[in-house]
Amino acid sequence: MAIGVVTVKRPPERWSSSQPYFAILKGLGVSIRHFLHNLLLFARGQQDFTVHFPEQRLVQPPAMRGMPVLVQMDNGKERCVACGMCEWACPTNCISIFPAETNDEVERYPEVFDIDMSRCMFCGFCEEACPEEAIVMSRQIEIASYSRRGSLWHKQDLLVPVAELKTRLDHLRRQYEH
Amino acid sequence: MQAWLDSLIARGAFGPHPSPDLIYGAAIAIACALVLFLVAVPFASIVTWVERRVWARIQSRIGPNRVGPNGFLQWLADGFKHICKEDVVPAEADAPLFRLAPYLVVLAFILPWAVMPFASSLILADLNIGILYITAVPALTVIGILMAGWASNNKWSLIGGIRSAAQIISYEIPAGLAIFPVVLMTGTLSMQGIIRAQGWAPDRWFLFANPFCFVAAVILFISGLAENNRTPFDLPEAESELVAGFATEYSSMRYLFFFMAEWGNMFIAAAIVVTLFLGGWQFPAIVQSPRLMNLLQLATFMLKCLFLVFVSMWIRGTLPRVRIDQMMSLCWKYFVPISFINLLGTAVWVAIFPDGNRFTQWLMLSFGVAVVLLFLARVVAFTRRARMELYFHPTI
Repeated sequence: MAIGVVTVKRPPERWSSSQPYFAILKGLGVSIRHFLHNLLLFARGQQDFTVHFPEQRLVQPPAMRGMPVLVQMDNGKERCVACGMCEWACPTNCISIFPAETNDEVERYPEVFDIDMSRCMFCGFCEEACPEEAIVMSRQIEIASYSRRGSLWHKQDLLVPVAELKTRLDHLRRQYEH
Repeated sequence: MQAWLDSLIARGAFGPHPSPDLIYGAAIAIACALVLFLVAVPFASIVTWVERRVWARIQSRIGPNRVGPNGFLQWLADGFKHICKEDVVPAEADAPLFRLAPYLVVLAFILPWAVMPFASSLILADLNIGILYITAVPALTVIGILMAGWASNNKWSLIGGIRSAAQIISYEIPAGLAIFPVVLMTGTLSMQGIIRAQGWAPDRWFLFANPFCFVAAVILFISGLAENNRTPFDLPEAESELVAGFATEYSSMRYLFFFMAEWGNMFIAAAIVVTLFLGGWQFPAIVQSPRLMNLLQLATFMLKCLFLVFVSMWIRGTLPRVRIDQMMSLCWKYFVPISFINLLGTAVWVAIFPDGNRFTQWLMLSFGVAVVLLFLARVVAFTRRARMELYFHPTI
């Protein structure tokens, strides 16, 4: 035989489990067991699997891809050099960049950097395409707005200090080391 | 109530020359409206909250907990939301029938409350054909649901409506036949008469009167589930196949009416079983005051009904939906013949033991208690064994 066959030892089938009416009773037993168990422990406040979202939040792991944001350096400026790689990589064309010149050490910067969050699909291609680690996926997922205009995020809204993005940047570096 | 009205008339409360018939008619209409608004509608609505919480516990969730203490006012919020929504009538629908259908369904849910025996003197109308009335009137639901399905001009609605009609008409037969053993034993169709023929102690309940009655009670309860489109017989509104069945095209208040009727019918089905087999409001006469006694009886009746409503929620939280052919074969191949055998068996039993047989009652009662205890023991044993498995950590 080409492939190895493992014979799994099943428990012998009981007579009661072949009877549909016993199965119904058994199912009722299972659900009442969960009911009583949960009733008792919910009342004691011991067992509460649900995260009560607005009051409690889970800390998302660094691999989580939330909303893309721009990394803000310690001098308050963005790392972005407006090369347009993310704009090119974006499958949904939700990024629009207008570059401009400055007299700083890095001579290019984006004068306009808009992300249309209603079109973003959180694929993270912009982050992969970026040569400067200037655009990264954050943990921010609460980006609902009351209007379409509100889902268009400008550069000033997108800038996040580099210290807050440390876990994600570390995660990216760890990934690219391998 | 008539006595109270008579005393009011004697005291001249309604002018110098009152016509008693007119006053009785008006008083009963007002009493019905009060019952409707104070008991039936809030009950049917609160049950939605209870049901969602019970399912949540069964599924280790929390359930609605935002509106009011522990989400208790969720039913008000839901009702308010539905009332505020736009009442859409599809362009291709048959508008008059489409608009009329929910009212028929609600009518079928409201009418049985007139003969609901809450306590020994707390009943709107103790008709001498009470149990016949309470099985006949909910059949209006079929007309309403079929009308809704047809008038929506939609394939899902039509299939849902026709399934519902087939289901309700089929299950009326075993339900009706399951009532007859009790009628044979008591010789009355009045709800109060049937309850008075039983005692407060479980061994005097008709559930344990003879083996046929026990089977009849089970058949009546399951047929009640089927008639109210409850899981596992919720084929007319099967979400995964028919969107929402006959209610697919409905919105706003009319949609609310359908579901209010569904949840209210749950209570009515439970009340029929409680009245016929579980001793109704019977409570040991421990106090002299008739008013206090009535309150105790009301509490007994409500507790028994709520227990059966809980059982139906429990079943809904457990069982998957049956197929249409399984449902039909369960009714026609099993329930109808078994009900007929029950009827014949009870007739023979009544002929042999006209006053009932104490030994059988005790035997049946001990058998029932043993089954329940065995079930609970198994549940407790499994809970102990499975406690460790139930813990898990939701976060990463």
